[in-house]
Amino acid sequence: MSPQAKKAAAPALGPRVGEIVERFELEKAWLVDPVSGREGPGEIVVIDGVLESVVWLEGVEAKGVTDKGVVVAPGFFDLHAHFREPGFEDAETVATGTAAAAHGGYTTVALMPNTSPALDEPGILERIRSAARAGGSPVEVLAYGAVSAERAGEQLSAMGELADAGVIGYSDDGAPVRTPKLLRSALLYAGMLGLAVVDHAEDSELTANAEANEGYVASVLGLQGWPAAAEVNAVSRDLAVLADALLDEPRVRLHLTHLSTAASLDLVRRAKAAGLPVTCDVTPHHLALADEWIAGARRWSWEALDTDAAVRDPWVDAALTAWPYNTSLRVNPPLRSPVDAAACLVALLDGTASAVVTDHAPHTVVDKEVEFGKASNGISGIETGLGVLLALVDAGKLTLAAAVAALTTGPAGIVAGWPAAAATPAARKRGLIEGAPADLVVFDRADRWAVTAESLRSKGKNSPFIGRELSGRVLLTIAGGRLAYEDPAAGEG
Amino acid sequence: MSGGIDASAAAAHLKGAAPSQDVVWHHRHLLDVDVLTWPEIELIMRTTDEMKGILARPIRKVPALNGRRVTTLFYEASTRTRVSFETAARNLSADVVSISTATSSVTKGESLVDTIRTLEALGAEILVMRHAVSGAPYLAAEVFGGHVLNGGDGWHAHPTQALLDLYTMRQHLPHGDLHGRKVAIVGDILHSRVARSNIWSLTAAGADLWLCGPATLLRGMDRWATAWATGAVPGHGRFHVTSDIDAAVSDADVVMALRIQRERMQGGLLPSLREYAARFGLNAARMALAKPEAIVMHPGPMNEGVEIAPDVAIGDRAVITEQVANGVAVRMALLYLLAGSHDASHIHETGHAPEAAR
Repeated sequence: MSPQAKKAAAPALGPRVGEIVERFELEKAWLVDPVSGREGPGEIVVIDGVLESVVWLEGVEAKGVTDKGVVVAPGFFDLHAHFREPGFEDAETVATGTAAAAHGGYTTVALMPNTSPALDEPGILERIRSAARAGGSPVEVLAYGAVSAERAGEQLSAMGELADAGVIGYSDDGAPVRTPKLLRSALLYAGMLGLAVVDHAEDSELTANAEANEGYVASVLGLQGWPAAAEVNAVSRDLAVLADALLDEPRVRLHLTHLSTAASLDLVRRAKAAGLPVTCDVTPHHLALADEWIAGARRWSWEALDTDAAVRDPWVDAALTAWPYNTSLRVNPPLRSPVDAAACLVALLDGTASAVVTDHAPHTVVDKEVEFGKASNGISGIETGLGVLLALVDAGKLTLAAAVAALTTGPAGIVAGWPAAAATPAARKRGLIEGAPADLVVFDRADRWAVTAESLRSKGKNSPFIGRELSGRVLLTIAGGRLAYEDPAAGEG
Repeated sequence: MSGGIDASAAAAHLKGAAPSQDVVWHHRHLLDVDVLTWPEIELIMRTTDEMKGILARPIRKVPALNGRRVTTLFYEASTRTRVSFETAARNLSADVVSISTATSSVTKGESLVDTIRTLEALGAEILVMRHAVSGAPYLAAEVFGGHVLNGGDGWHAHPTQALLDLYTMRQHLPHGDLHGRKVAIVGDILHSRVARSNIWSLTAAGADLWLCGPATLLRGMDRWATAWATGAVPGHGRFHVTSDIDAAVSDADVVMALRIQRERMQGGLLPSLREYAARFGLNAARMALAKPEAIVMHPGPMNEGVEIAPDVAIGDRAVITEQVANGVAVRMALLYLLAGSHDASHIHETGHAPEAAR
């Protein structure tokens, strides 16, 4: 930890997770406020859980404070995570998931309904909320309801009752909404309720038994190709159905999650330009990693492109440094080519994609310590999302402000576009707002941390970053005025 | 090559040969040929020569791996590969344990990792593995304390097949040199671990490699060929991918047919076996396009009348049974290199500690 941070965090907070932060002062940090668009040296004071003051420093007072050290940002909002409860508590629980989220700087998470049983009626939502209350974490836990009953793709879930109970939208995530006909009904019914359908865009017929992005790497490794066409086809279907449904119901909303290919992002770009009510997001791993990692490469996606933006060959470059077929890299959609990763970044920069989501997908060793083709899909990513985005910032690919926006105002803005969710706390502006309950994260860009099975709070150790270092150690996360996470070393200085 | 050499003579020969070529075997496992340098491949070829000498003797048994424990773990049906490995291991006096998943606790749901840990606890030192999932031996090698020898994984690799293919080609080509020699591999390239391993070893040997098959069974290979078209991959050259069988076979020195499986019709990849045989089958008319002295190869098992006509399969130019015989020698060489004591004075010792290096 940098001396600055030690000094700053030295007054031990005292409170435990879940308790009101009675007093916290941070002098001479770099503040990022994505609502006002302002960033720079400043100080904050939290008293009795309220962000009492935000002071921007200038002149001599600001001297020596840079954006390369301790940063204060609004608490992050993950639009897409899996906490596995109920049904798969050996992989994650709401308690361990919220602890992991807070360690990653998140103060709000939206959980996908592919639990067992699926979240297709209000009783399951109540179970999740009760687990969140029992866990004691102040991290706000939101949830999507399933689109279809039992996520079986046959008939609609209890959508209206789920809306009354407070779901923020609908998804059959883990799988696409099975048929275009069901999607049209779901969009219309959800639109009537003022909520969005969040689709995992995948043509499952084209991806049956698929293992890795179809291309050079999969060909060499003998892995069954997962074609980009599967995502492009599904996005195309979804957009066609959306345009059709919009004729009947002006409040229909579609959100496409974890898009991973240049061509599918291009479809969304054009659909948005044409005025369709569609939004999308990308993940840290699709931005920063590429399929060559499965062969054993361990460089960032932008390092796998040469100056002409052509894909570098990891075999030519002798870039293969790790053991191949690491199952922590098996994810849906699969890690794509470096060109697709670059397209995800362009989409984020030009606003086609307005949020970065982790698709945090913890799995047990039973599901991951198996043959690559038999391993479950997913990356345990809620604790490494910030570090991966900071790698983009460090490389000059993304500004710090844009990275913070993608984790805060970006997702909040998407939810604000869903009529019935616009007034909920999830859609609130995520800025450093004086007088509001403190909801913020403090991290140190100068402090790298080792990603290990022990350092991850999630039960899911299926991270491709295990054994590596990321920058931006999270020192403190305050959610709704309460302590969500404090770095164990923070009070020792 | 003269017969009548014994194991210690073979070992002494290897010991003498290795330093002059600056090759020291340092691989703990053999999972694919991609990690082998050309001098290492030549070391395998020379060691195979020695093993051929042993196989030419009336009693084909030497004590090189006396007391060493070889376990074959086959998750996929196989006759020739399994028998070949087991024969090779017994020829070197190893103790052989044979496990087929149909009769093991794998049918009770035991994971690969647990199976491997169990086999290690039961004393396995050298694991020969066949698995239907690409990359499975890499997982095995991560958890196993001894040596893993890949007997074929999914669509990915079949290194001993590629090495026995290379050995067989060298036997039939002048000076054993493949440089500029045209090798055509015809068939289901997409699903073929034999083709993939051969891409590494044959381009390393300098061959003019052509992969040929219907477009549905070549998917992805053109991207690989394009990536290597610049010849920038160290030790490897460009290769060709085509659906034009006549172009592939014309003036070839070696023509290899691959097995076509019936499942490909159900998967919608081929209209019929009849149509495949007519368009891509290796028959006498097509072989007439190749060089007169060209050899015909097949990794087996063959569907005669589909990918290869019966008269071609048993004709003068077919070296298919030689491939099988060479397979035993190549596998003896690899078992020896991976696990044998390479010092002649220790050739009879047991309990030699496995090398630490991968």
